[in-house]
Amino acid sequence: MTTPTPFGYHGCYLRIDVSRGSAERVPLTETVLRQFLGGSGLGAWLLLEEGGACVDALAADAPLAFVFSPLVGSPLTTSAKFAVVSKSPLTDRINDSLASSGFAIAGKRCGCDAMVIVGRAPELSTLIIDDGRVRLEPAEDLRGAACHVAETTLKTRLGSDYQVASIGPAGEHLVRYATISHDGRHAGRGGSGAVLGSKNLKAIAVRGTARCEWAHPRELTEYSKTLSKRSFGPATAKYRELGTAANLLTFNRLGVLPTRNFQSGTFDEAVSLSPEEIRQTHSRTRASCVACTIGCEHIYSLGDEKGVRLEYESLFALGPLCGVGDPDIVLRASRLCDDLGIDTISAGGTIAFAMECVERGWLDEPWLSFGSGDAMLRALELIGRREGVGNLLAEGSRRAAHAIGHHSIAFAPQVKGLEIPGYEPRALQTMALGFAVGARGADHNRSGAYEVDFSDKVDRKHATVDAVHFAIETEDKAALMDSLIICKFLRGVFEDFYAEAADMLRCVTGWDATADECRETARRIVHAKRRFNLLAGWTPEEDTLPDRFLDTALDGDPAAVLSREHLGTLVTEYHRQRGW
Amino acid sequence: MRVEFFGVSRERAGVAELELQADTLGQLMTALATRFPSLDELITGDRLRSSFVANLNGDRFVSDPRTQLTEHDCVLILSADAGG
Repeated sequence: MTTPTPFGYHGCYLRIDVSRGSAERVPLTETVLRQFLGGSGLGAWLLLEEGGACVDALAADAPLAFVFSPLVGSPLTTSAKFAVVSKSPLTDRINDSLASSGFAIAGKRCGCDAMVIVGRAPELSTLIIDDGRVRLEPAEDLRGAACHVAETTLKTRLGSDYQVASIGPAGEHLVRYATISHDGRHAGRGGSGAVLGSKNLKAIAVRGTARCEWAHPRELTEYSKTLSKRSFGPATAKYRELGTAANLLTFNRLGVLPTRNFQSGTFDEAVSLSPEEIRQTHSRTRASCVACTIGCEHIYSLGDEKGVRLEYESLFALGPLCGVGDPDIVLRASRLCDDLGIDTISAGGTIAFAMECVERGWLDEPWLSFGSGDAMLRALELIGRREGVGNLLAEGSRRAAHAIGHHSIAFAPQVKGLEIPGYEPRALQTMALGFAVGARGADHNRSGAYEVDFSDKVDRKHATVDAVHFAIETEDKAALMDSLIICKFLRGVFEDFYAEAADMLRCVTGWDATADECRETARRIVHAKRRFNLLAGWTPEEDTLPDRFLDTALDGDPAAVLSREHLGTLVTEYHRQRGW
Repeated sequence: MRVEFFGVSRERAGVAELELQADTLGQLMTALATRFPSLDELITGDRLRSSFVANLNGDRFVSDPRTQLTEHDCVLILSADAGG
């Protein structure tokens, strides 16, 4: 006897074996859907089911999941999102990276809640999923093509009703932090582009006609209207007016802007890189993802037809972290990362690490020096094609440090192999804990603990064990947002996020969900990621920070010091409160 | 004391920084709201709205209107959401 499919879902995932060119629909029970929702949560469950923890991330039988959510296709603002979930070739731990726009809607219209890809195509190919029917087409003519070129070419060839996610040259060359790109955005962190490349897939094109019904369409429409209206308020003004790049001057003033491979928390040339300054010299347009009312994307002109979308994380990683203060260079570098399909944070972090190794005489690449924009651009090109020193840097800072030796791992800016985003951990110590314990490594999208550091709830330079529950709270909230899926830029809009999440689920699925159930779901998802990592070989020693950040004060800020012992105490308390 | 604006607050105030006199954080907010009517999106009464935060001297975040200030203090007005 089969149970009815819940509203908002198709009740199955499409399992595609690209070695054979075959696909099957695998049922998903309502229990699983209610427990893991979609996005990151359902992705973690699928990977556990598929045995993804115990295979090499780039092996043919490693599963790569594209996961939608019950909210995709609904009128809820920011809900057109999908998660890409796999074992990370960078960290060898679970990786869930999210992206937005039409691919999510078209993918779900293929009549499935997720697509799990296994196998390896016999030649470089495009995987085409047309209303759930699957075929491969040769993509040799797209070899070496930039992400946006591959996407545009395939849409022209197949039809504009297809939505395309593609890799760039970096994914083809298995750069361990290659991205999957769609509509100018990237499932960016952890190397999902290398996983797709290892399957000999240049791109995935989807279109479909299947639609889900909503349990309470009238209520859903009304709720969506009020949420959209609230999304125009002051809680999102920063994103609309300046974009995430607005962080730059704030972080510099607070001494938490990572500079020259985390050797300083301030950058002398920060003003020249600020959006307030760049917009004086570069024309700017705004854009938004499909089905989004915030419009956080600020696209700057470089004097040609194609603009450059600039985010804080790209700005920090390709600017201050490498000592580069020329906005034109940073914009060009950001565009190059988009074209090659590489994660800007890991690229900037790995290059900055290499620059410090050169400075210390441990890497014989004298051209690769802090502050040299030309060197950074050259390094990015080499990484994207794994040429020269780029072959080493394509491995990420952790593997590069092991190859270089001299205990350079002490200042490789990574946790579990994932390069650290633009938040100085010594001066943001709740965030330091969030970085240390993150399932996918150091990450600001899976732990929003910096929110607590930027408040009067804690002393950001002297975090006590009281900070632990704040770190857990933000991690849980992120897990739920990434599984529903809804944009984190909305988080300031919700007065009681869990209650509203329950409302959204009730309107869409008809479930009598409560705030408490949503909290429990969030914790279950965090635990599922942890279970994956345990199976993949996680040890407690991984939950820490590099030596650079421990026992030594941040340059110029003697109060910003985090002892190894104290971080250990915070991590132990985190594990205790998690019940691990 | 000096007041520095960052991000949206700078957009609204139209200046990056200025000098003002106030004995408490609450007095400072009231003075700012009077001087810059465009800051009504940020300030309600003697407090910042929840989307914004104040930082004292680049170090401690403060919200209590009774927080004492001295003429040597520097108050930063920031967006509460530091996400990137």
